Amino acid sequence: MTASEGAPVFARVDAITEAGEYRARAGKPLRLPDGREIGALSEVPRLYVTRAFGRLAQAPVLPYATRLEMLAKAADLFENAVLEGQSVDDYLDLVSLCAGVPRAIAHASVAAIARTLRALPDTLAQEIPRGAVTDLDDPRLRDGAAYWARRGRTLAVHASGNTPGVHSLWPSALALGYAVAVRPSSREPFTPQRLVRAFREAGFASHVALLPTDHDVADVLIEQADRALVYGGQSVVDKYAADPAVLTQGPGRSKTVVTDDVDWHEHLDTIAASVANLGGAACTCTTAVLVEGDLATAHAFAAALAGRLAEVEAGKHRTELPEQTARQLADYVEQAGKGTTPYGRDDIVETVRPGTAVLHPVVRVAADAEAPVLGVELPFPCVWVAPFRRADGIAPLASSLVVAAITEDMEFGRRLLDEPGIANVYLGAHTTTWMKPGVPHDGYLSEHLMRTKGVIR
Amino acid sequence: MSDPGAHDWSILDVDPLQQTVTDADAYVRTLMQWHFGPETGSPFWLKRRATLGFDPLTDVKSAEDLALFPNIVDEFRDIAAEDLVPRGLGESPKIAAVFESGGTTGRPKRFLMFEDWFTRYLAWAGRKAASGLGGSGINLLATTPSGPHMIGEVTVRQSHALGGKRFSIDIDPRWVKKLIERGQTEELRAYVDHLVDQTADILATQDIGMIQTIPILLTKIAERPELVELVRSKVKRIAWGGAHMDPDTRAILREEVFPGIPIVGGYGSTTILSVAVERKEEQPSGLATFDPFSPYVFFRVVDPDTGRPVPYGERGQIVMNHITKFALIPNNLERDTAIRVPAEDGHIGDAVADVAPVQTFEGTRVTEGVY
Repeated sequence: MTASEGAPVFARVDAITEAGEYRARAGKPLRLPDGREIGALSEVPRLYVTRAFGRLAQAPVLPYATRLEMLAKAADLFENAVLEGQSVDDYLDLVSLCAGVPRAIAHASVAAIARTLRALPDTLAQEIPRGAVTDLDDPRLRDGAAYWARRGRTLAVHASGNTPGVHSLWPSALALGYAVAVRPSSREPFTPQRLVRAFREAGFASHVALLPTDHDVADVLIEQADRALVYGGQSVVDKYAADPAVLTQGPGRSKTVVTDDVDWHEHLDTIAASVANLGGAACTCTTAVLVEGDLATAHAFAAALAGRLAEVEAGKHRTELPEQTARQLADYVEQAGKGTTPYGRDDIVETVRPGTAVLHPVVRVAADAEAPVLGVELPFPCVWVAPFRRADGIAPLASSLVVAAITEDMEFGRRLLDEPGIANVYLGAHTTTWMKPGVPHDGYLSEHLMRTKGVIR
Repeated sequence: MSDPGAHDWSILDVDPLQQTVTDADAYVRTLMQWHFGPETGSPFWLKRRATLGFDPLTDVKSAEDLALFPNIVDEFRDIAAEDLVPRGLGESPKIAAVFESGGTTGRPKRFLMFEDWFTRYLAWAGRKAASGLGGSGINLLATTPSGPHMIGEVTVRQSHALGGKRFSIDIDPRWVKKLIERGQTEELRAYVDHLVDQTADILATQDIGMIQTIPILLTKIAERPELVELVRSKVKRIAWGGAHMDPDTRAILREEVFPGIPIVGGYGSTTILSVAVERKEEQPSGLATFDPFSPYVFFRVVDPDTGRPVPYGERGQIVMNHITKFALIPNNLERDTAIRVPAEDGHIGDAVADVAPVQTFEGTRVTEGVY
């Protein structure tokens, strides 16, 4: 496969295992948003995957301290080193061109991933149950104690390609002693490729694999692994709902709510950032804003937010997409948003180069907080606004990865904390995209990978 | 052989050495005389001639002209088997079996396997895919479809040629297709495991020298270390067919799992009443390449939109032709795609490499399944 004429970069993503990199005869082209081919992604068959898992399951479990040292070393390699001939700049070019992610966002994501890896000693120290030990030689076991044990040996990851940041989560499985196989997204396979190379270079020779596959073989990873982490849409969430070994990362449907004890005018910057940070593509980006008050208040807020987003957008938060995809998304907004009132630009698709377009922010008002459209999450800045009253209950806020409640009412905050359908609650003037190593994203991954066992010796 | 009329039909006698047909066009012209002559043709073709829209006796002058024929294989779903017997074969030509297609793209089609054709085709296949194991007395383990499916009876004959015993596990490919269509992946997995378990039992207890099976079974065997050991210690030859094997799996099986054991594919179809055999010489492309029993069976690799051949080395859809005095099944656009490769030794038609299924066929989603 050769890069087409005039393409600015060349990319090749092959499978990686203990045995090295493997170029499959089968594969598919990697393309820029405008359709230009820049290389190819290998697609390995079932037998390659099962053999890779056979070896992963036998990878030796290294001492905890060694694993953490190797992860810190990997962070440096990922952030700075030339890996298999690829410099950081080469990598950033690929990510920003192929995935349409602004280079600044890609760069910030790289730093964030490296920071997360270096912070693992601290974050895991916070994640471990207080009563648990990690070593059979721990003297507390003389009187009996909890031991933090793996639920399995291998983890499969079906990654998504919205932002490089999704790859800051699964490496903690390496710290916990798992062997990990990642199936990259064909839209952005470069971040997991570089991470896997960095991990191998840092010493995880037999503990990590990159297994690009077609859609059918993708299921083989889930079938072979002891535990799985799967990114995807609602259909993916539904597909694995009954399988306790699979942790799904579905639509975030993250929301911001502003109560009437605060003045929303003062928080427009925060809310605009929640909508547009990370190109609006992350699961933590605000999909709906509930504004306490009547419908007129919601309209006034939407008009002001649209104005603020237009300013933000003049800056750097523009995700480039294939023009056809952009038009389909715009059509979908019309269809899903039937009966809602739009603010801001009418024509949201702007062609920036032939075949490549950006989407301008969408702000639309729905008549009430029960409107199903509030759950429609799209991979660009698109937000639905509705009126809300605390007295009517918090049902409209359930089923959210993040609820940012801009409020002084801590009783309201407690109700949000008690709602099982909400994963994260940020109280006060915070964006829904706020993050910090050690603060869980959707629970700690270790809740899925580890359990305590009673041990005495 | 009966000899109706004054015609010399001898050119139509099937030669396992592929030497008697030196002029394929002359062969085709004689074949038209046979299938559309009132004393030699089958009731099906004699009747069908009226609705062809051309006269095969005058319009078909060359192998190329066979492309004039419409694809009639769908009609084989409903034709009475008796109507497929060419009268020129005599009163009661020996029929080895009525075989049916797998039903991948709809209801099964039925074809007659005449003993004379079967024997001669197998003689050709035995010569082309010579294993050196003929008459050695080794036992064959066949985990394949049987019953209405051609491969089962082929393994019976194979085993006779080897001179040993035949152990068999049956596969029901139509049930597999139902499971796939219904999305019952758990059931499908259980069924395939059931096939592997039965195969494992024979492998463990019997002296098996050769395995004939389908690609997914080889993959599943390769996933069980104890079975890999058994195969490595006992088996001298592995043959596969019935479904496609992707080139990466083929390379892993040959190079990593069973190095030193020949792994040989066959590409067959009931509509050609035979199996094209894999070339022995490793191809520069590294891809499994199949030659049919030309000129009696020949392939063309075409662009399905234009019907024109694709260039050598490019992928197109396979057109199959079976043109013997036993049956005329010409110009059948099959469900599969392949890379076009020049035929061997100046034979007519194409060889095919890296065969793969098309995703939809005549508006029906193709469920390839295991066979």
